[in-house]
Amino acid sequence: MLPNRPPFPPQVSVINTVDTSHEDMIHDAQMDYYGTRLATCSSDRSVKIFDVRNGGQILIADLRGHEGPVWQVAWAHPMYGNILASCSYDRKVIIWKEENGTWEKTYEYTGHDSSVNSVCWAPHDYGLILACGSSDGAISLLSYTGDGQWEVKKISNAHTIGCNAVSWAPAVVPGSLIEQPSGQKPNYIKRFASGGCDNLVKIWKEEDGQWKEEQKLEAHSDWVRDVAWAPSIGLPTSTIASCSQDGRVFIWTCDDASGNSWSPKLLHKFNDVVWHVSWSITANILAVSGGDNKVTLWKESVDGLWACISDVNKGQGGVSAVTEGQQNEQ
Amino acid sequence: HILRPSPPVPSLLPGEKRPTLTSPQPPSRLVQVSKNYRSVIRACMEDMHQAAISTRDSALQSQYSIQVSILSAMELIWNLCEILFVEAAPAGPLLLRLLDWVQLHICDVDNMVREVLSSENPSKHKLFWNVVDIFVLQGRMDEARHLLSKEAIANPTSMNMYKILDDLMKKMPVPSLGNTQTLTEMELKWQHWHEECQRYLQDGTFASNSHMESICKILLGDENAILEKKELMTTWYHFLVTRLLYSHPTVKPMELRFYAQSSMDMFLGEESSPEPLDTILMAAFEFELHQVIKECSVALSNWWFVAHLTDLLDHCKLLQSHNLYFGSNMREFLLLEYASGLFSHPSLWQLGVDYFDHCPEYGRVYLELHIERIPLNTEQKALKVLRICEQRQMHEQVRSICKIMAMKALRNNRLGSALSWSIRAKDAAFATLISDRFLKDYCERGCFSDLDLIDNLGPSMLLSDRLTFLGKYREFHRLYGEKRFSEAARLLLMLMTAHIAPCSFWMTLLTDALPLLEQKEVIFSAEQTYELMRCLEDLTAGKLNRQKFQDDDVETMKVEMLRLALARNLARVIVKEGTLEGS
Repeated sequence: MLPNRPPFPPQVSVINTVDTSHEDMIHDAQMDYYGTRLATCSSDRSVKIFDVRNGGQILIADLRGHEGPVWQVAWAHPMYGNILASCSYDRKVIIWKEENGTWEKTYEYTGHDSSVNSVCWAPHDYGLILACGSSDGAISLLSYTGDGQWEVKKISNAHTIGCNAVSWAPAVVPGSLIEQPSGQKPNYIKRFASGGCDNLVKIWKEEDGQWKEEQKLEAHSDWVRDVAWAPSIGLPTSTIASCSQDGRVFIWTCDDASGNSWSPKLLHKFNDVVWHVSWSITANILAVSGGDNKVTLWKESVDGLWACISDVNKGQGGVSAVTEGQQNEQ
Repeated sequence: HILRPSPPVPSLLPGEKRPTLTSPQPPSRLVQVSKNYRSVIRACMEDMHQAAISTRDSALQSQYSIQVSILSAMELIWNLCEILFVEAAPAGPLLLRLLDWVQLHICDVDNMVREVLSSENPSKHKLFWNVVDIFVLQGRMDEARHLLSKEAIANPTSMNMYKILDDLMKKMPVPSLGNTQTLTEMELKWQHWHEECQRYLQDGTFASNSHMESICKILLGDENAILEKKELMTTWYHFLVTRLLYSHPTVKPMELRFYAQSSMDMFLGEESSPEPLDTILMAAFEFELHQVIKECSVALSNWWFVAHLTDLLDHCKLLQSHNLYFGSNMREFLLLEYASGLFSHPSLWQLGVDYFDHCPEYGRVYLELHIERIPLNTEQKALKVLRICEQRQMHEQVRSICKIMAMKALRNNRLGSALSWSIRAKDAAFATLISDRFLKDYCERGCFSDLDLIDNLGPSMLLSDRLTFLGKYREFHRLYGEKRFSEAARLLLMLMTAHIAPCSFWMTLLTDALPLLEQKEVIFSAEQTYELMRCLEDLTAGKLNRQKFQDDDVETMKVEMLRLALARNLARVIVKEGTLEGS
């Protein structure tokens, strides 16, 4: 007898948990480009890489080289090989590379005077470039010039007190979806966003080889902990998500291609500090994680409001702890 | 030991589905498509059911059973949508379709029927009247009458009552499918018939047999009588259809909503509240399409159902194409969501490509973003992905993927593979890098790997200078091997004088020239020999300042040998060129 009241399972569910055997707090976990490997870093000073295909978890590498808690890891685009960057409290940025099946340190940058809090690789179209934000208030950009050599450009005093997060803008000309591009390589303007202890989100632009501050976005009342520039499919709108110690997450949008007017929209005010925000590949889902021990997924609805989708009690804002479903995190 | 079959995931569904329709279709075709979808769902349900009964693992079994019930709900909803929206059955046929729908989906009547019929004395079976009742409730008059006849035979005293009831049931007017009668005609006939039933009931004809009396009351559409059989009907929508059958058979589609709401209220009463499935069906009865889609999206965990249903409804021109906030319409939005989900699956991503192709506005961009992220574990897979990109002129993606494959090959020391990938990617820088590796290998081992590849470079040799040199250098070796010495000599010289060879390699080239110089027959002309000497001088002059060169005995010895050989060759060739031919 077919029951006529079947149960309907929720839309987002945990698909895997990985026991990393880190001996201390884990500060970051990043999937690689294909979603087959997971890199984690921790206060125990190590960076671990796991193969997570088909629900498994095989430890591939345990990288030691930092002398303090490691704050973030970032995977480079696979066309440069298997490259991972990590940054730590010990003021160092280490770039690791996989050669002949083993992971080794390929470069170490020690140009900061204080803890390096965030690293982010630029879109692969610009080359192999890494942005690093540090507690000494500076942001450095390391560019690979070939033959194991890296060139360094530093933006001093980017944020007073310190810089907590950096995030590159996608290499897509805004509006390129609507106006069909000519087919030749477009002229990219390199941009990235940074968040700091001065409660500001700043947008930086490269002009004639120099980096200049293009915009200052003010809305937070406490330290900005993370910024994430959303991937673009070529619509004229650019979007940035920022989260802060004040528990708020803002979505900033800019409708014109010149990048002049950014307007904030409050996604939600959480009860605790929000640590990280991250976009899905096609930028329609935002993952938010915070001190309340929860990860929530948000999606923009038809009328422009943001709704939480990883929640069984729809519309309540109260959340159960679930992790990202099928999308890759940046 | 027994092999466990791999669980048939509901992803069997997308595997069967043919992607969306492209051009406008005639209505009948759309109904056919809708039926196809339903048969796909049923097939999947069947497989899942088989899996459920064949497994020993109870957790797996309950999982499969849940899937079966979800699939049956999906088919239920789809069927109703087909009747109301795709086929858009008008008043008259509408009721017949709804009756079919009820019969198909609700109540496990067949088991009961079989049990009753197979007993020796059906009319004495305890479930006999239940079966008769359910036949009546579902409008299956012939079957009801057939069963009743058995009762009449067994109970001759009720023969009179039976004959009247049988007659009433036989005469009941039903809407016809063809155009043999208009609605008004039918309504008239029905009115008369209804009055006749009323008369018999009021006359107390069935007073002595409560079963037959209740059947007569049902025929008259008495709601309380119908509600008494709640347990048999099991759902409010069955109740709805039965009510309509016996009180308003010519119901128009737009009138359904009133009956639906009241039926649900009456059936569920105070205690129970509607479940998600009920809400969806109610929205359908109310012809609120967007509500149906919305409720389904919320209730069902995968996008397959809403994406395909919306696509079908879109083809029926039922969805107003109001643009969503971010510019695409509902159909495309759902298809994009569904296809994106497919990309995380190891093999279903290929279907995802087809779906993206059918999304005119954003499909291509989404595909560009997703296709680069497919893990390229094997060359075959990479080639498959490349073919897809090339077919769609996604040049950026092609280059990117080729570069990734080249890098991978290089890391695994498969230089030939890396070279061919970088040629395909038209990546000059990488090609130069790899050519350098080849040359380095040659210097170390004295032979080339991947000769085939280098020999057959063809025009792609021109991609980078270093690559051209590699190709030409290999050609030199080939000529030497074929003993075409003068051609080889000419090529060798050209490589240096035309600056195709990098300076770092000149020493090696000159060393290669040694055997040619030492041949019995003179190969290099005077002109050429002078050139070679000049090259050697250029080389040594530049290195005079380098400590390493002076200290290196091997190098010094080589230079000495070369000088000697060149001098000797020069001597011989001057003589030879000075000599008259044939003398």
